[in-house]
Amino acid sequence: MKLKTFRGGVHPEGHKELSKGQEVVPYLPKGDMVFPINQHIGKPAKPVVAKGDEVLAGQIIAEADGFVSANIISSCSGKVKAIEERHVASGARATCIVIENDGQYTLAPGIGKVPHEGTLSNKDILDAIKAAGIVGLGGAGFPTHVKLSVKDPEAIDYVIANGSECEPYITCDDRLMQDENRGIVEGLRLVLQLFPNAVGIIAIEDNKPDAIQAMEAVCAGEKQISVQPVKAKYPEGGERNLISVISGRDLRFGQLPADVGCVVCNVSTLNAIYHAVHKSEPLMERYFTISGDAVANPCTLSVRIGTSHAELIEAAGGIKPGCTVKKVLSGGPMMGIAMSSLDVPTCKANNALTVLAEDEVEIADAQMTACIRCGRCTRACPIHLIPQMMAEAAERKDYEQYEKRLYGLDCIACGCCTYVCPAKRPLMQLFKQTKADIMAAKRK
Amino acid sequence: MNENLLNLSSSPHIRGKLTTGNVMLDVVLALMPATVLGIYHYGLHAFLVIAVSILSAVITEFVFDYIAKKKNTVKDGSAVVTGLLLALSLPPSVPLYIPYLGGLFAILFVKCFFGGLGKNFMNPAVTARCFLLISFGSTMTNYAVDGMSGATPLADLKAGAAIDVARLYLGDAPGVIGSSALALLIGGLFLWAVGGITLEIPVSCIVAFTAFMAIFGGQGFDPVFLLAHICGGGVLMGAFFMATDPVTSPVTSQGQILFGAAIGVLAGLFRAFGSAADSFSYAIILANILVPFIDKLPIPKPLGYKESENKPRQFPKAAVNLTAITLIAGLALSSVYIVTKDKIEEQQMAANAASYQEVCPEAESFAYDDAVTAAVEALEGNPYNQEKYGRTFIKEAVVGKTADDSVAGYVLSVTSSDGYDGDVTISVGISTDGTVNGIAFTELHETAGMGMLCGEDAFKSQFSGVQTDAFILNKAGGSAADNEIDSVSGASTTSGAVVNAVNTALDFYAANLQ
Repeated sequence: MKLKTFRGGVHPEGHKELSKGQEVVPYLPKGDMVFPINQHIGKPAKPVVAKGDEVLAGQIIAEADGFVSANIISSCSGKVKAIEERHVASGARATCIVIENDGQYTLAPGIGKVPHEGTLSNKDILDAIKAAGIVGLGGAGFPTHVKLSVKDPEAIDYVIANGSECEPYITCDDRLMQDENRGIVEGLRLVLQLFPNAVGIIAIEDNKPDAIQAMEAVCAGEKQISVQPVKAKYPEGGERNLISVISGRDLRFGQLPADVGCVVCNVSTLNAIYHAVHKSEPLMERYFTISGDAVANPCTLSVRIGTSHAELIEAAGGIKPGCTVKKVLSGGPMMGIAMSSLDVPTCKANNALTVLAEDEVEIADAQMTACIRCGRCTRACPIHLIPQMMAEAAERKDYEQYEKRLYGLDCIACGCCTYVCPAKRPLMQLFKQTKADIMAAKRK
Repeated sequence: MNENLLNLSSSPHIRGKLTTGNVMLDVVLALMPATVLGIYHYGLHAFLVIAVSILSAVITEFVFDYIAKKKNTVKDGSAVVTGLLLALSLPPSVPLYIPYLGGLFAILFVKCFFGGLGKNFMNPAVTARCFLLISFGSTMTNYAVDGMSGATPLADLKAGAAIDVARLYLGDAPGVIGSSALALLIGGLFLWAVGGITLEIPVSCIVAFTAFMAIFGGQGFDPVFLLAHICGGGVLMGAFFMATDPVTSPVTSQGQILFGAAIGVLAGLFRAFGSAADSFSYAIILANILVPFIDKLPIPKPLGYKESENKPRQFPKAAVNLTAITLIAGLALSSVYIVTKDKIEEQQMAANAASYQEVCPEAESFAYDDAVTAAVEALEGNPYNQEKYGRTFIKEAVVGKTADDSVAGYVLSVTSSDGYDGDVTISVGISTDGTVNGIAFTELHETAGMGMLCGEDAFKSQFSGVQTDAFILNKAGGSAADNEIDSVSGASTTSGAVVNAVNTALDFYAANLQ
């Protein structure tokens, strides 16, 4: 099938070969498990356990509070040790439920059995997704049952399964598509049931031929579902660009994919939906890549949500001997968050840990020069903004110009402009700050 | 692991390999073919010019940064690019103070004073070249080198002579150091291939320029004529290397097309109707000034705001509009010139008439004589007799008529290009018996207190009332014979130019009017 792509974007080195080859094995953590109650966009969940309570794996320990919220599920069995404020991967502090892991992983009753005979209603599907605490596992963490409850389901004509995985180093979706291709397609079929007029398209970057082959194998003969290879380019998997590539429709700032008749779900999310609906398995574990040049055995593991990052590095063989770690990222190098501490738990939407022995930002900062207006940022911007003009407006705090003339709020913070800038100017960082300032002023 | 040692920063955490230094290095590499060919054709001196220009630019930046207590910016390499670009646009035989001054001016006045890299609004190399052209006119337009002489291809072209385009391709003709069209084209395409430039500016610039020359160049769509114009006179250098300087060109694709077209039209205007050489340098710095305004034009809409979102791709409307606007603007500008051209000629005529009257006082009116005019035109704008009189040109020859229509005398307008600072044009009045009635200057811009003294009566009157075949310049002074002219002290170059111009007039008189 013909490759599709968008105008702009960058080609950072993939480094995917580091973790790609290894079989995925489940990792059973030994230490305490920590569950922040705000692992999703929206209102934090409300704890339903108290200190000292015994919990089982798969049990709801915090309930969705309000419409845009999600259940928090314990991924281990043990005793609630504390409910307290702790640091999370982003560096912020959040209320966390800490469970002393008994190492038994005793499952809560009812998990794993097929709940329904015959056909499922749309409500059954949405309820199961909600109960399982599923959120967007590609990184955004938006509660999935909310995303799938669109006003006019008949107006949706594309359900896009996002398997592009354009972030360097990360290979968890690649592995998942090879290991769980049936689960993903089943999950996609469940979502398509909610949208009677939609077709399902699985978008995969062409640098993952094994995944493409595995997905095509299960899609053979499907009428509604097909695989669409897309060009390996960052940010091919960005929602706005992916929708544009697959459907030819363009989103603007403030619009949701449903406004242009699209729903985008990560392949991991679809797999979780399958497990939740057909097997009554709540979201307890996920594929997670531990990679980077400072890790001894880069790999993808099936990781229990709530596991400490420090433990995961050890699970990947620890730090390479003789290596000094400069930077640890929650996520990949393009959009990941630099972590100040490793003693923080993995959340539902975390998909990778990247440990780097060299900090390119440090090197780049030393090479910074004045902007030479070369225009590479403009050519790289996947949204077709003009970062060079935006930076000028942002620097003189001309927010009117920034927002109205330059469409600055449409910046998706992908970082392509910063990546390509030969003058090594921190453009995207400036745009993030400027957007935050403008949004703050609007709320006043 | 000591966690306090972890670096924290906002994403992205990786960066492309390209640095500002690499960007500049790409430009230097792209200029290498032209540089190497230039040195090959013009020899060691061309190499010295290049070396001095680059060193001057780099040292100036280094010293400025040191004195101004700024971060040393020499290693970004932009001064090297400026120095090299400047050197390649200089004649190969210029004295070495020219590239030195040029490099200094480019970096200090055009770049550093405006805030350094990225802040200048005119291209430093082009601006420095214009500065040198204005300050050292004759030196900067003297393309003669050992083994090669004669007019530049462009001068030939303007004079209507046929020229060899193949020589232009290889730069094997009198011209600036970096004049090989082929080398520049290869370099330009290399720069495009590595992403250093986009094609908007060079293409729109060359297309607009070619269209303009085809319409107004006077030879229609003659491919040889057009190709010669494109390959000569710094068109490719300007279009690929100077106009595309990112600092001084617009950001958006549409803006770049407009900018390139503006350069093409301006350069065409200057070349077709103005003095031939250097039209591109002036066109570029004028267009540089337009850039802030071009950047204020509406920008292309981002993803999600485009009007024809779901329609198949169309030819970009904005590009069509801009091209149309540029063409209309170009035509309007040209028509203004054409309308005013007669007026300018009229005024020129009036100015000339005053000087004609001065040197031929008996005449009531002046008229052309067909045979004489034909003799002037037969020269085709070439030097009258270069071996004898240097670069002198007969501009016009008229007959002075008395009230009863008899011949009162003749006036010849003669230009010598051998003045100390460019052209000297005089009107020479010759009576019917061959006696010089007097001379008057219509164009003289020499050094004040020296060359300009030639315009004084003390010098001019030496010619009046003398009947001779030729005057002789006496540099020592104290002339005895009538046909000996005392040189103005300290201005023998200008004096010599005037004597040659008068002798040219006498020669022409003897040949055609006597």
